[in-house]
Amino acid sequence: MLFPTVEFAIFFSLVLPLSWALMPRPHAWKPVLLAVSYAFYAAADWKFCLLLGGITVGNQIAARAIERVGGGETLAGRAICAGAVVGDLAVLGVFKYYSFFVDEINGTLAGAGLGLPLPLATIALPIGVSFFTFQAISYVVDVKRGTLAPAPLIDVGLYLSFFPHLVAGPIVRAREFLPQLEKPRDPAKVAVGAGVVLIAVGLIKKVAIADVLAREVVDPVFAVPEAYASADVLLALYGYSAQAYCDFSGYTDIAIGLALLLGVVFPQNFDRPYHARTVGEFWRRWHMTLSRFVRDFVFIPLGGSRGGRWRTMRNLVIAFTIVGLWHGAAWGFVLFGLAHGLYMAVESQLRGRWPRFPTWARWLVTYHFLVLAFVLFRAPDLDVARTLVGQLAQSGPATLWAPLPVLLTLAVVGSHLLPPRPLDALRERVEAASVAVLAPAMVVIILLVAATIPSQGVPPFIYFAF
Amino acid sequence: MATETLPNSDTDPRARGSARQAILLVILVGLGLIVFAGDSVRNAGEELDDGPVKTMVLAVGHPAGWVADTLPFAPIADEVTGWISSDEDLGTAGGGFNAPAGTGGETGAATARIPPEAFGSERAPLRSLLVTGDSMSQPLDAVLARRTAGTGVSTRRDAKVGTGISKTGVVDWGRLATTQIAERPADAVVVFLGANEGFPMPIGGRDVECCSPAWVAEYATRTRAVIEAYRRGGAKRIYWLTLPAPREAALAKITGVVNDAIRVAASGFGAPVQIVDAAELFSPGFRYRDALQVGGRGRLVRDPDGIHLNERGAEVLADRLLVRLRRDFVLEG
Repeated sequence: MLFPTVEFAIFFSLVLPLSWALMPRPHAWKPVLLAVSYAFYAAADWKFCLLLGGITVGNQIAARAIERVGGGETLAGRAICAGAVVGDLAVLGVFKYYSFFVDEINGTLAGAGLGLPLPLATIALPIGVSFFTFQAISYVVDVKRGTLAPAPLIDVGLYLSFFPHLVAGPIVRAREFLPQLEKPRDPAKVAVGAGVVLIAVGLIKKVAIADVLAREVVDPVFAVPEAYASADVLLALYGYSAQAYCDFSGYTDIAIGLALLLGVVFPQNFDRPYHARTVGEFWRRWHMTLSRFVRDFVFIPLGGSRGGRWRTMRNLVIAFTIVGLWHGAAWGFVLFGLAHGLYMAVESQLRGRWPRFPTWARWLVTYHFLVLAFVLFRAPDLDVARTLVGQLAQSGPATLWAPLPVLLTLAVVGSHLLPPRPLDALRERVEAASVAVLAPAMVVIILLVAATIPSQGVPPFIYFAF
Repeated sequence: MATETLPNSDTDPRARGSARQAILLVILVGLGLIVFAGDSVRNAGEELDDGPVKTMVLAVGHPAGWVADTLPFAPIADEVTGWISSDEDLGTAGGGFNAPAGTGGETGAATARIPPEAFGSERAPLRSLLVTGDSMSQPLDAVLARRTAGTGVSTRRDAKVGTGISKTGVVDWGRLATTQIAERPADAVVVFLGANEGFPMPIGGRDVECCSPAWVAEYATRTRAVIEAYRRGGAKRIYWLTLPAPREAALAKITGVVNDAIRVAASGFGAPVQIVDAAELFSPGFRYRDALQVGGRGRLVRDPDGIHLNERGAEVLADRLLVRLRRDFVLEG
């Protein structure tokens, strides 16, 4: 059930009043919200609910066991936590990476004249598995670290399955979500204006910008780069930077907005990422909840930047290769992460000299690195990526340079370079408008956005695949 | 226990409204959308697969559609927002499956069997290729376009994701085929379609459910109408692909009868209309399998969803199609 669909609109229209009606009675509200979230997930495939339930119960058993053995500082506590994390990663490994690795291992072994010890098979990828397994890890590790007490099973179940963030994030940490379940949300303190504005902005970003750029420019060029010359390829590369941002941040805007209407606050996930003057800064502005997860659970445990120049560089490369692999089981994602890690490793060594360059030069270099690295992220395979980059040197007519994709790309990237204050002030004024203004405005926006949807419907969000 | 306090609605400065206002807003937006686009809710519901979600959407969609049909606002909204629609206008195209009898509707009534034409033994150059279908045609269309790049072939990719022969609400393939070939004539057409089938089809004034003989016959008749639309538009060859067996048994049943219908529909045209048996290639004996021997070793050829081909599967199929194309046409390079 995608957010920008009729079925989700009806689903949410039923859930919202039900949720607030039951809110004063947590013993009724929590099971109902849990059931509703599982029903939302079952709309994709009911069998995936078994996996989600299994992850929930497994991590809750581990969290309780850590508490029972005296906490995460004891040897037993550490062992239980490690076991739970390994279990979560094993689930991710089997469902997300098995096919990729077994295919690659098969290729290597066949080259050496050996047989394959594992069955060559594809496994259905449960939607959102990368998000809820990471959230489960965050829960059990926070309990181990003593920053969170084990919560009741129903709270943990609701934390992992809460439908606004279930399938594509943001990756909400347990210690951000669980305290919000400790007492009923106050029905007199709901961020109605902020929620509605986020939902409207998210719809526009996804349907009226990202999908239009994909249709008009990005998909044709990435599908058959041989058919396009440098001007079109460049437009597709810049266009993809705008599309990827609008697609993913559009999803999280809607998710955060829906949660706000239900009285729950999620962390921010994007903050004008193309404003960044370094790749490190980009990752503090792009998919911020993933970046801090990797920082807290991979980079810092590896030693962070404490072990000297080479260890810092090594840790950055490892952490960002994992970020790449988290996005999907393909060499393109691995190389995307590796490229970011290597670039940031170099960046970390230039920390003193880099700021001496003019701001515009630092921005230009950073943005173009990001645009080029996105080729590895978007291309269906490395051959297509290579061909596409090669086409940058191919002269020929510009066939895709219509005003709409050019303006949309410029508007998206340009909006990140504007000073934030006027835009924030405008947003705050809209958020403060009354329901009598917001409701008709929302109707008009939905009608206009819906008119841009092709007859086949809304394509899935890019991050649904992760 | 140190619990990090993070923003929540108790401390969020944006939390200036109330739950009552949130609910009121959702109700008002819902009412507005019913008045201006209630028919879209009904149409969306009718396109969904059977199940609780469809029931929920239609429970709202039928009354919403009635309201929109009764009031004059939905056509006004369509008129006002029509200029930003990204769809081709199929409204005047002939060959629609549900048009009145005598105008191409009741497909079989107006669609006479066209005998195979003789093209002579000389192969003509392939100048234009249309690769179309539903999501099954992706990524085959891109692989074929890449493989034919530099051979003098202009390859048009036109995937209509989520559509089917047995569902006409979103795209009527009878009309679409007519429009596709009229807008940009193609020497050859590759069709890979059938992953979203099994919807009831109206025959003689009543809906016939999948997968009775009457349903299969109607599916074959509609498929034949699409083939004829391409032929009338000047396509010299049409390559219609059968569907590999999907992993799920319930889907496999529908896919099996769709393949039967395709085989019947494409028969009798001779060389101009050819079946490319992707079903046998990827699922011998119509039994699902993930992998094939490719280049002397086992490789995965199916997507994890158990329905579609992955990139490598599409490459295998494109190679098979290229053999046919080179046999029937002259390709440069």
